[in-house]
Parts: sequence; C-alpha cells; structure tokens
Amino acid sequence: MRIDKRRLYHLDWYLIINGLALFAVGILNLISATTSFYSSSYNFIIKQLVAFFIGIIIIFVVTYYDYRVIANHSKWLYLSALFFILLVLVIGMIAGGAKRWISVFGISFQPSEFMKPILVLYLANMLYEKKRENLPLGLKDIAWPILLTFVPFVLIVKQPDLGTGVIIALTCLAILWFVGLKKSTYAVLMAVGALLPFIAWNYLMKPYQKMRILSFINIDADPSGFGYHAKQAMIAVGSGKFFGKGYMAGTQHKLQFIPEHHTDFIYTVFGEEWGFLGSIVLFTLFISFIYRCLKISLNAHDELGSIIAFGIGSIIYLQFTINVLMAIHLAPVVGIPLPFISYGGSSLLSVLASVGILLNISMRRYMF
Amino acid sequence: MKEEITPSKYKWCKWILIMTMTVLLIRLWHLQVMQGNEMRKLSEQNRIRVKKVIAPRGVIYDRTGKVLADTRPSFNMYITPEDIKDFNQTIDGLAKLISINREEIVDKLKTASGLPPSFPVKIKSDISMDEVAKVEANRVYLPGVNIQIEPKRSYPYGTMMAHVLGYVSEINNDELKSKEYKNYSPGDYMGKYGLEKMYETYLRGKDGEKRVEVDAMGREIRTLDIIEPTPGNALYLNINMEVQAIAEKALEGKKGGCIALEPKTGAVIALVSRPAFDPNKFASGITKENWKAIITDKSHPLQNRVTQGRYPPGSVFKIVLALKALESKVINEKTSFTCRGGFPFGKRVFKCWKKGGHGSVAIHRAIVESCDVFFYNVGLKLGIDRIHEMADMIGLGEPTGIDLPGEKHGLVPSSEWKKKTYGEPWYEGETVSVAIGQGAVWLTPIQLVQLSTFVANEGVTFRPQIVNRIVSPEGKTIKTFEPVIHSNAQLRKEVTKTVKEAMQGVVNEPSGTAYGSRIQYVHMGGKTGTAQSVGEKGKNLGDHAWFIAFAPVEEPAISISVLVEYGGHGSSFAAPVAKAISENLFKPKVDVKEAKIRENR
Repeated sequence: MRIDKRRLYHLDWYLIINGLALFAVGILNLISATTSFYSSSYNFIIKQLVAFFIGIIIIFVVTYYDYRVIANHSKWLYLSALFFILLVLVIGMIAGGAKRWISVFGISFQPSEFMKPILVLYLANMLYEKKRENLPLGLKDIAWPILLTFVPFVLIVKQPDLGTGVIIALTCLAILWFVGLKKSTYAVLMAVGALLPFIAWNYLMKPYQKMRILSFINIDADPSGFGYHAKQAMIAVGSGKFFGKGYMAGTQHKLQFIPEHHTDFIYTVFGEEWGFLGSIVLFTLFISFIYRCLKISLNAHDELGSIIAFGIGSIIYLQFTINVLMAIHLAPVVGIPLPFISYGGSSLLSVLASVGILLNISMRRYMF
Repeated sequence: MKEEITPSKYKWCKWILIMTMTVLLIRLWHLQVMQGNEMRKLSEQNRIRVKKVIAPRGVIYDRTGKVLADTRPSFNMYITPEDIKDFNQTIDGLAKLISINREEIVDKLKTASGLPPSFPVKIKSDISMDEVAKVEANRVYLPGVNIQIEPKRSYPYGTMMAHVLGYVSEINNDELKSKEYKNYSPGDYMGKYGLEKMYETYLRGKDGEKRVEVDAMGREIRTLDIIEPTPGNALYLNINMEVQAIAEKALEGKKGGCIALEPKTGAVIALVSRPAFDPNKFASGITKENWKAIITDKSHPLQNRVTQGRYPPGSVFKIVLALKALESKVINEKTSFTCRGGFPFGKRVFKCWKKGGHGSVAIHRAIVESCDVFFYNVGLKLGIDRIHEMADMIGLGEPTGIDLPGEKHGLVPSSEWKKKTYGEPWYEGETVSVAIGQGAVWLTPIQLVQLSTFVANEGVTFRPQIVNRIVSPEGKTIKTFEPVIHSNAQLRKEVTKTVKEAMQGVVNEPSGTAYGSRIQYVHMGGKTGTAQSVGEKGKNLGDHAWFIAFAPVEEPAISISVLVEYGGHGSSFAAPVAKAISENLFKPKVDVKEAKIRENR
C-alpha cells in the first residue's frame, strides 16, 4: 500500500507547524532549564532531540497505515501497553520514589505515557458504531469502556503516578461524553463522581498525596515541605512580571529553588523568563493546537476518526491545563508533563505518535 | 456519516477553551502583573543574601611599635534558619561533629528568633581547623550550616596589660536595645572594658557588605558586589612594653597595682593590676563556666586596682601634710617635735611605728624615717580642713581623668564633708588618724602617683594619658593627645625642695625606710606607706604596702606608685617594684657597638 499523493497534499500543515512551533519553544526552554549559571549539560537536549527524531519516524509509520486499520488492531496495542505497565510494577526502575520506568537495552521508557493515545484508539474503536447510530450510551454500554480504563488506571496509580492516572480517567469520561450519554447515565456518573472524593480521601489516597491537597488549600501550612514546591513555582512565575526576566535569566530554577523544573514544573521556567507576554503566546499555541484537534475531529471522514481526534485533543488539553494550573497554584501538585515542552522521551514520543494519528485522520478526510 | 447532534458538542468545547484561556490569563495577570513586584522581591530574597564583611578592629601598639592587640582570621560557624531543610538532621548532625551540644544550638537559634530567617545566626566562634574540616566534609548533609572566616581580636601578650587593653565581646541583648548602640547588630563585637571600651568609636571599623547569590541549599554561587570594610583606627600608646613587663613580673603572684608615668607629660609608661585575666578568652566567645569563674573569683581579677581600688594611703599621706604645713608656714624646716614612741590624745595614746620613738625630729628626718608622732602634731596644728585643701589642690580624692573607663573617686575628709554625710562635727581625734593616712582617707594608686608627680614637678601635675595618638588605616594621624595640666599649685620653691630632699633621703639615707631599694646609678626619691586595713568590726585584716617614687630626683623623668594588697611593709614589698622599674629605665646603656666589637674579639 502506497501513500496517495493526494493525501500528502491534504496533510494538515497547520497542525504540523503549530506542533513544530510548540516543540521549538520547548527545546529552547529546555536548554535554559537544564543549564545552571556555571555548568551546562547537553545531555538532556540530545536525548530530547533523539526522541524527537524517533517521533518523526513514528509519525511516518503511523500515517502510512489507515487509522481504521490501526484502530482495528488497537486491542493488541492495548494489551501490550497493559503488559508493559504490569511489567513496570514487577521489574520497574525506581526513580524519585516511584516505579514508572522500565529499561530495555539501556533505554528506559515509561509505558503509561503510551497508554494514553492507545486507550483513545481502543475506546473509539469500541464506541464509534454507537455514535454513528446516534444512540446515547446506557449504563451497560459504558461498563466495558470504564472497566478497560479502570484496569490501567489502578495499575498506574499504584506506581504511583497519580497524574497520568487522572489523565486517562478524565480522557475516558470526555470520550463517553462526546459519544453521548443517556440522562440516567449522566445521573449515575454524577452520583459516583460526588462520592468518589470521599472514598478516595478515606481509603485510597496515600498520606503524601493528602498532604499535597492540604497544602494546596493552605500554601503556608507547610512552607518548607509540600507547600514549598507550590510556593516556589508561584514565585517563579510571578517574578517574571509582564516581560519576563529574559531568556536564560530565570534565577528561581537555575538556583534549584524549583524541583522537577525540567519536567513537571517546566512552565515555571517559561513563565519566569518570558513573563506574561510570553505566556500569552505559549497558551495561544496550545489553544490553537487543541482547536485544530477539534477541527480535525469535526471534519473527520467518519465517527471513528472524529472520536480519536477528540480524544487526543482531550489528552493535550487536560495535560496542558492541569500542568499550568498546578504551576500557578490553581491545582494541587500532580506529576503531569506539559506536552511538547517537558523533558521526557516517552512523553514526547507519545505526543508525536498522537500527532501522527491526527495527521492520519485529517489526510484521509476525503476518503470514501 | 456524522449527525447534526455533534456540532453542539464542539460549541461546548469552544466555550471550554475560551473559559480556560480566560481563567489562565486572569490568574497570570494577577500573579505576574498585579503581584509581580512582590513576587520579584520574593525571588530576589530567595537568591540574594546580604552578608556582612566584618571590619578588622584597629591595632593597638605600644610606644616602640610592639603589637598589643590585633586581629587574626578565625572560623565562625553560622546557621541560616531559612536554609534548614530538616531541623533535626542539621542540629543533631552538627552536635555530633563539633563540640557543642544540641541545647546550646537551639538556644542560640531561639535568641535570634526575632530576626528574619535569612539572617545567619552565629552558633560557635573560633572553631578549630579540625572542626572546620569535619563540617565542610559533611556540608551536603547539613543544609543551612555555614562557616565564615572573620577577623578575631587577639592579644599576643595574654594577661599582660589586660586591665589597660580591656577586652571585646559580643554585644548582649540589653545593649542591643539601648539607643547608644543602634548601629550594632546581634553577634557584633564591641569593646567592653579598658581602652577597647574607651576608644570603641575609633577602634571599631566600618563593616562592609557583600551581596552574594545563593542556591536553594544556601551555597554561595557567586558574589554580586562587595563594599569593602574599613578597618578601625590604630592606637599608639605611651606604654613602654619593656617597663610594663618588668612591673608585671615584679607583681606576679601578688595582688596589687602599679602605675608609672612621665611627670612632665602625664604619659603612662606602665600600668599593672594583679591578678589579671586573659582578654583572649572573651574575644573567642567566653564560655559560661569561664565567665562564672571570673566574676565569682574572690580576688576580683576584673577590677583595675590602679584606677578602681581604694585603699588608705598610710604614711604616704604624710607628704600632703608636709607640703601644707611648710607652705602655710605652720612649721619650718627646723621645727621639731619629740617622739617618745607614742602620742597621748584624749583618752588614748596614738603610737608611733617605732616603739622607742625617734626622739627630737624635724621635717626631714620625720619623712625619711616616717615618724608618726611628728605628723600627729603637724596634723593637729593644720586641722582637717587645711589638709583637705592641700589634697584638693593636688587632685587627691578626685578621678585623675585617665583615659580608662570606670575610674573611681577617693576620699579625703573635711569637716564640711562630715557634716554633710553624718550630720556630725569633725573631731580632732580623727585628724590624728588622717595625719598618717588612716581613718576616712581612701585613695587609688593612680591618685597617689599624682602626689609623687606633684612633688617631682614642684606643684604641677598632668592628666594621666595612656593613648598617645590615633592613626587611621591609611597612616594619617587623626588625633594626638597633648599633655593636659591637671593641677597647678604655686608653691614656694623651698617647700618642694625640702620635701623632695626628704623623699630622696627615704631611699638614699641609711636610716630611710626604703634604703633597701636604693639604686646605684640614679637618685630616686620616694615615700613608703604601710596602711592598716581595718575590717567592719575593727578587725585588722593585714597591711597594704605602699610606695610612691620619682626619679631621678635632679630631673624627674618617671613617677611611680605601687600598691601591694595585704603586702605588709611598704619598704619591703612595694618599694622593690619601683626599684626594678627605675633600675631598668635608667640603667647606663652599654654601647651596643662596643659590645659587639668585644664579642668579635
């Protein structure tokens, strides 16, 4: 099977350029985030660029096959992702107190990152028929999708990686909403949703996770402990003021006041150095990218593509929003990478694979 | 194909995106624009520490340029509360590494709890190299701990001259609260005694400031800018360390004091008070035990006996009577009284120290042999108020104005004084006691050196002055202390000549009380004193030994006063000290060149 020239013509250049712009901002920002005033290590940058080029290859591979073919095989993708996530719990590497990575031939990766787009594919493949028939989903219809989300959710939260767990759970709900729910289903989901915080607080959450919530509510309750990250992040972003401190001039992260400033707290680096003005540009790039996902969803050839594009847009949206809100103290601290911007090969590969799927859907929109 | 129902969901999505953007921008506007300045300030506070660069105190030199007090580098350990990550880890870790216990550290941190947490609190001063190495090796496990190299006061001669130099020590909480010290901050050192206190404003330099960038662990990353400290001004003293050393040695193991000065200027050449203390102990942060030991010591090592010790002057006081009696012509050189070893007055008999009596004595022999009966008679003839007049003229009983803090008054009574104090008239019997320097006469050794100066200079004394000049760090002389006349009495030449000759006789005539302390190559004049020290219940506590002197008699270049507490006879305990000083000062200088030539042969 060859790629039709017409399909290349229909490549979504808007999405590509928007994505490249985000990645460019990300790399520039990462250079600043990973160098101190005196020493610089290009290790991070090289790794990130390597991941980027592998990602480009993945985009080619992903766009080569029709997304419907891929979705058809999503069950196997899902099962293998699940297998790796299980493997993490058994032989995973411990870093920062959590088992999130597995190492194969010296290359470590984080399987939970790949579960996000794979779950979208799998759920879309399961639900698109219902959407085409415009049948609102009843409780029976959502049971299986929720269970399929719940299994990886539990495993990921056990790592513990609450952030990724929350993202896949919310993505699943967004997809169900997008497909359409019966009023009774809404009611049940809302009831469960209302109960869940209590159950989570009393039975499921670990003490350190509770502390994070508490220190979110009162940042000064524990300024040197859990409130510390949140406070320092806020100071970093706030101290950027309108124009920012200037590229490579962010003192908060360069002097180690912000932990994880190259991964989960990457926005603080950007906010400190580029200020309010730069942040408007960055947010606009994100919103525009997400908007483009919706556009692809709207114009997709079929319901399958529509759901997939929407699901991917949801992932990007949720990660972006929660990550930034966390940095400006509007959400509790959870470990979620900022797509395109945070350091992390698995995260970048997962995002680029998702871009591949989006391009796949958009270039096949006129296909019958 | 897709149904119509979907576009409404996209509309929802659009609204969610708009909402998200709005919320983010409002929050960012609030954080970065409205709170921006405050946040910028917080981030600067995070990274910038203003550190004090302590100025070295001015150096103190003796007149020959020997260093008496200077500064040396020392290692001081600080904790910056803000940088502590785990309180127990830092505190316990530190307590294990260096010899300081946990409670002490917590105590120090508590006293500084009113200060901003970024203010480094001094935990231990002057830690050893060994401790420095241990702490530095474990820096990573002790966030917040910091070692600074700072100047520390050092006194190379130790206890020698301790009372003159004084000491520096950390400013205490009460001093910090007073307005006088508003330019000081906790942990600052200040002069608390002696010259260090007296000349604090000159000796204290101006601290510099260093702005450094620190990382989250409190490690200094780089220095942003520095204002160099200005060292304090140097003091050049009139003290001659060689003479001082001799006087110190002569008084070693004794309690007492000695002062030697130039009668022509008031320049203090030596000042010793014993027992002494080691000012170095204060400079490196005196421990509680050491401080307790010093202040509870019954021999009062912190008291400067020369300026603060008040003693009955004993026979030395007879000089005052002699001067007044001759001056007011109550007696002349030939007036004599008969001493039979006692002087009946009222119901009791006042004894002379010489049991058999001196027979018929005139003024010269009365001073040389220190006849008590002669002066009982003179005292009664003069009356207390004329004695007081003379003492007042010399400046006895009043502070001499030496440049040391805390100089004490003395007392030479008068009938007015008695009326004011006790509401009673003066009794003549009391005059008899005062005539030989007993009773209500209390003088300090420095006041009595003025008496000897008064005779030596024939009526003129100068304010005793320890510091000769103050020199700025650049070598510019800021202030020179010119001699200041303290008393200037127009006495008749014959009066002082008679007294001077008598005082020469004390040392140089075989019957003189200080004949044992005569010096071969210089004529010294002096007067011994043996003062009974009477306790509250009239119990005799032992005799204080006094000796005042000047030399050479022909052209006095030094004036000395020596006191040895409970020393016994002035002749045998105090006079040798003066002898040692004069001997050294006036020993014929062997020509160094000649000596060398001889050696070479």
